[in-house]
Amino acid sequence: MTKIEEIIEAFQEADYQETLAMLLDYSESLPQLPEKYIEQRDAGFNRVPECETPVFVWIELNDGLVHIDADVPQESPTVRGFVSLLVDSFNGVTPEEVQSAPQNLVHNLGLDQKLGTRRMFGLSAVYNRIRSSVKEANGLQ
Amino acid sequence: MVAEYIHPEVLVSAQWVADHSNDPNVRIVESDEDVLLYEVGHVENAIKIDWQIDLQDQLIRDYIDKEKFEKLLSDKGISNDSTVVFYGDKSNWWACYAMWVFKLFGHENCLIMNGGRQKWIEEERPLTKDVPNFPKTNYKVSGTNDAIRAFRDDVLEHISSGNPLIDVRSPKEFSGELLHMEAYPQEGALRGGHIPGADNVPWATAANEDGTFKSADELQSIYMEGKGLKEGDDIIAYCRIGERSSHTWFVLTYLLGFNDVKNYDGSWTEWGNLVKAPIEK
Repeated sequence: MTKIEEIIEAFQEADYQETLAMLLDYSESLPQLPEKYIEQRDAGFNRVPECETPVFVWIELNDGLVHIDADVPQESPTVRGFVSLLVDSFNGVTPEEVQSAPQNLVHNLGLDQKLGTRRMFGLSAVYNRIRSSVKEANGLQ
Repeated sequence: MVAEYIHPEVLVSAQWVADHSNDPNVRIVESDEDVLLYEVGHVENAIKIDWQIDLQDQLIRDYIDKEKFEKLLSDKGISNDSTVVFYGDKSNWWACYAMWVFKLFGHENCLIMNGGRQKWIEEERPLTKDVPNFPKTNYKVSGTNDAIRAFRDDVLEHISSGNPLIDVRSPKEFSGELLHMEAYPQEGALRGGHIPGADNVPWATAANEDGTFKSADELQSIYMEGKGLKEGDDIIAYCRIGERSSHTWFVLTYLLGFNDVKNYDGSWTEWGNLVKAPIEK
């Protein structure tokens, strides 16, 4: 079972309050943005344009494995938690594993049902952006 | 002469809320766009009410019914005579929206904390993760207040009689160049443009940088001198899903004192898709 599959299973078993608690844990545990990216972030680079919340993502392949750095404001905990979940799921895995994750992850996690469909567009946009960037980085190898 | 808000008593400061957080007659309600923000930390003794999870019924695209509203408020420990003060993120969009729904169900004493969550935090006031557990009440809805809600047929009638309609979306949504708020994702309208006869006053024109409302003088110059609204006007406000227009509904009703302001909550996601509904670009 891949990490993302394990996470999906945990979310599927969670009720509304547990879902919020898990997302909050993720939001609070998003690793700090490395120093080297702060200037780029402040200049507005690497922002995911489709998401209303300022989400910044850097994707690299180190020895063929995915490495994601991201930054999301503390005041947007839902998006921050979701991005942190992606960072946790995909850091250190192969690009193929990222591509094989479910297309409609937000739905598989049950977030649309539990948190309301109207909030999910931004999350899907961030997810698609990360997946396509991983694909692109892999193609450049 | 400096103008004043017509109903200044509905607006309270963060200090007022801090002073009343343990007042048993006051219930503080946080209502945010971000469903997790309350869990990050909130004002002491604030209750969370979520616009989508708690107030809407997705199965019929409407608000919850009277019985569910009574149960929600009873469970949260709000009674009919509670003074409810709303605050939230995004310059109080959702706080105004929640207040509007409370008003639909006829709740008497509703206040808004000026500046919302943003100002509270900027003033370096404390946040807590403790969720209050108030004794349950036996909330009763005596009647609904449909005078503040417009449905599509009301809008059609409204525009054919030439009454003022305020579109509070961004200028690009109004012109039809964009189908959604800039940087916000698309939310399912097939056509871009606005309801014929609508005037565009983006909601944020009524808000200061710190999330508070603009002064009465500024509001008068925007809506009355700027857009020609005058005393006695019957006004409908709309946006995309009815949230930004709740902010404008609050401004027009309480700060400028218009007696007949309706929020068209179907807004552009309904009108933009409605068969035979005319639009302008």
